[in-house]
Amino acid sequence: MIDPRLDVIGKRLEPVGRIIPVSSAKGGVGKSVCAALLALSFAQRGYRTGLLDLDFQGASAHLLLDVRLDFPEEESGIKPLRAGNLDFMSFVAFSREHAVPLRGSEVSQAMLELLAITIWDPLDILLIDMPPGIGDEIFDVLRYLRHPEFLVVTTPSRLVLHVVERLLAMLSELKVPMVGVIENMVRSGTDSQAAQLAETYGTTLLGSVPFEEGIDDLLAAAARGNPLPETLADGIRSITARIAPAAR
Amino acid sequence: MHEWALADAVISTVERLYEENGRKRVLSVQVLIGELQRIEMEVFSMGLQNLLSERPFSYDVFHFETEKASFRCNACGSEWLLEEHAGLGEEELEAIHFLPEAAHVYMRCPACGSPDFVLERGRGVTIKSIDLSDD
Repeated sequence: MIDPRLDVIGKRLEPVGRIIPVSSAKGGVGKSVCAALLALSFAQRGYRTGLLDLDFQGASAHLLLDVRLDFPEEESGIKPLRAGNLDFMSFVAFSREHAVPLRGSEVSQAMLELLAITIWDPLDILLIDMPPGIGDEIFDVLRYLRHPEFLVVTTPSRLVLHVVERLLAMLSELKVPMVGVIENMVRSGTDSQAAQLAETYGTTLLGSVPFEEGIDDLLAAAARGNPLPETLADGIRSITARIAPAAR
Repeated sequence: MHEWALADAVISTVERLYEENGRKRVLSVQVLIGELQRIEMEVFSMGLQNLLSERPFSYDVFHFETEKASFRCNACGSEWLLEEHAGLGEEELEAIHFLPEAAHVYMRCPACGSPDFVLERGRGVTIKSIDLSDD
């Protein structure tokens, strides 16, 4: 048996410039929030931006970006949904708000299918909201996507930093390109160890995202065109500028 | 119309194998169509025919075989066929058509109600075999 989807994924992603999986070894650190903030910020700066939610079992990026869940339109494949001026794709377009009880091999199958049938318009940046942990999705992204540049999210928590270090160590061991580390949920006066950790594994701390009460609602409002609080907007703008300095 | 994306994938695989094997003539391609994905064969065939223009092999080499979808429950060991599974609505079938793993969202083991089952066969589009000429 030959799986023909493997031969078409490269072609599907040809119109996509940079692919940035936003990941963390630990859950609850704000990967989806960071991915959504980055997507909005890149789009605001004129980059053609897409967001692919590969956290099938914990999909939430659609809630943060206030995406209307219709079945995707078909046109020699399926077209991404639109979230403001972002392109967006997620399993949730098909599962709605139901539980997604998949085992690892089924996650891989679903991911292959989405990659094989989604027809992306030309994009400068495709952010991928990854599930927590070091499992199937990370290995599949490494196996099937060309030149992914991992962005790792941590918080100042000692426990989170310890777990995130394992992911950084593995990515470093595998010589996977890393765009950098973001420290999320930072409160003023925090003594950060994230910069040192990033440097240990040959990458850099891109910046910090301040802890913000009600971030979910603020993001959904921002996706509808409302401004983010200034400190949050400044933090994320400086991070996107470090990832892709030349605005289009 | 997302059948066209799958037709495109099949052609890409045949083309790769054709190139990798010294451009030997493609004699036949056996395509297995799993029942779960509910591929519209007319649309899939039309996709193949359209995408095959200027390719070194023609539509005539493609042969199709359908495979029934069958499931086995990890919890109770029960086995069943898709055709025996009642209660799926049009929207749910449409979701499974786009993404067969959505079956795990909308189906449960008919015997014990568990969502922990495996699709044993009949998922979607695969290539069973490709025959290339010896000369």
